[in-house]
Amino acid sequence: MRILLIMVLSLLGCSGSIDQPVSYFNVETPRPFGYVNGDEIPQRIVIETRPGITLQTGSLPAKGSINRWLNLNQITVKQSGRRYQIDLLYQVFYAPLEVKSLTLPGFTVQLNQGEKSIGQNVPAWSFTLSPLRELVARQSEQGEYLRPDSPPPLLANTQAWYGLTASLAIAAPIATYLGYLYGCFPNMTRRTVFKRALRKLAGLSKTDMEQALTVIHHALNSLNGQPLFASRLSDFYRRNPQYLQIKAQLVWFFNYSNRYFFSDGMITVAQDFQQLKNLCEQCRKIERGSR
Amino acid sequence: MNTNIQLSDWREQALQFERQINQTVIGLQPAVRHIVLAVFARGHVLLEGNVGVGKTTLLRAVAQGLGGDYQRIEGTIDLMPADLIYYTYLNDAGRPCVDPGPLLKHGDTLATFFFNEINRARPQVHALLLRAMAERSINAFNRDYRFPHIQVFADRNRVEKEETFELPAAAKDRFMMEINIDMPRGDTELDELIFNPRFHDTDRLIAEVANSGIYYRLNELAQTVQQHIQTSPKLHAYALSLWKATQRPQQYGVQLTDVEMPQVLMAGASPRGMSYLIRAAKTRAWLESRDHVLPEDLQAVFPVCMTHRLFLNPLYAYRKEQLLPELITGILNQVAAP
Repeated sequence: MRILLIMVLSLLGCSGSIDQPVSYFNVETPRPFGYVNGDEIPQRIVIETRPGITLQTGSLPAKGSINRWLNLNQITVKQSGRRYQIDLLYQVFYAPLEVKSLTLPGFTVQLNQGEKSIGQNVPAWSFTLSPLRELVARQSEQGEYLRPDSPPPLLANTQAWYGLTASLAIAAPIATYLGYLYGCFPNMTRRTVFKRALRKLAGLSKTDMEQALTVIHHALNSLNGQPLFASRLSDFYRRNPQYLQIKAQLVWFFNYSNRYFFSDGMITVAQDFQQLKNLCEQCRKIERGSR
Repeated sequence: MNTNIQLSDWREQALQFERQINQTVIGLQPAVRHIVLAVFARGHVLLEGNVGVGKTTLLRAVAQGLGGDYQRIEGTIDLMPADLIYYTYLNDAGRPCVDPGPLLKHGDTLATFFFNEINRARPQVHALLLRAMAERSINAFNRDYRFPHIQVFADRNRVEKEETFELPAAAKDRFMMEINIDMPRGDTELDELIFNPRFHDTDRLIAEVANSGIYYRLNELAQTVQQHIQTSPKLHAYALSLWKATQRPQQYGVQLTDVEMPQVLMAGASPRGMSYLIRAAKTRAWLESRDHVLPEDLQAVFPVCMTHRLFLNPLYAYRKEQLLPELITGILNQVAAP
């Protein structure tokens, strides 16, 4: 008799829930009061289904405007096994004149079992919305009653400013020097051509005639912008007429250089070196504009 | 010392010869100077220019002035190599005869060979000429004929391109110089040319040129000049830089407008071209009464010796007339010596 009773009771316990498609259903909502215009209200729906039953995501409300004052901003569905977690984020745009009760509308979630469709109701949820201010906005003695928030305080950036200034101060001269090396300031380098040549000449002795001639050739070439040969001197004078005053010396220089570099049996004397130096000094004077 | 006197004697003769040509063909001084250089450096010359500017007259005057046996042939589309070597005909007795053609007629005394309108002849003819120019010999009638004195002058006009055959690179390379003949620029010269009856009868004009008779001594003279005129190590370095610049102009800072410089050239100057350049430069130094070559000698002959040896990428070939002179000027402007 006792065994029979146990069997009946266990059969009773198993019956009823076997054909329920949803084994767990819960709607988690926040506090139902204290909201104002523009607030966001989250809602979480948790559904656990029986095996073989799937959630039809198309049946969930679509993102966007639900009605005149309610917006659904975000909807996310997370699935882990047979458990679905649906997060809805509503936003209210309603400006009540006094505390007012409103309702998030309910909807039906569709679940599929093979070709069969089962509905699970999500109930409507009521909450109260409060006005932002009194019905009639009053003026206070100090000024506006309605006023913006105070601006956020700024973070201290003095350190960063110092750092930036210091690195710029270091970078600027480096960039200028690099530009100078890359020849970005042709006018500046062209105005110091013979200054540099003189400096190099000063380091040479009278026996380094070849280097001395090369130094002056290079100086003239860079002044001219391209290699300068005796046959192109007339073009050079046209572009740099101030050098016409040392025409005789330049002609001497080119003849001398031609004889030195391209013919045999040239004997150099100490005066030649001095003459080269003189030529370079004359050129430097013209370059500085003092001649 | 003896050589010096000999060289200066010859220089006088060469300058005299140049003056004479300049009196016959007026307003072409630069071209005449280049031809004189080529003649005394024993190089072949290709003349290019418009119609009726005096290319043929100039070459006839040069041939007349130099002396030596002279032959001339007109390039036509049906000219075959055999036409240069022999011609066949029936003699008075009605028997077929074979006589030597223009190339062989004078045997080894052939001096000036003038090929008119060379680009109208077929590549087969160019090939024969190539050998005659490079090796100064050809093979015919089962034996070699040698022409130790041959100097080829060829001309082509640049107006027409129809029914012409572009000279192959190899043929162009065998010419020492390609000289452009432009119309005289000066008004006085043009006036002279059209109104002075002296210039109307070309035959009589050419006959005025005195035969200097120096031709058959030219080989010996050229050799003496080449041996006597010195080149310094610095000049060698300069010539080498010029040569490298014809291969990779961008490395020497040569820039042309609207051109990708690394792609502009298919081929730079050949070693033969460079040796011709040096020969011409030495001859120029001799004509300028110097015993050593200066960069300006190289610069003076560089355009005429090099322009026809540089081959542009097909992409730029249609702008050849504009790009090549710019490239040559660019190279000369950018390469420094020392």
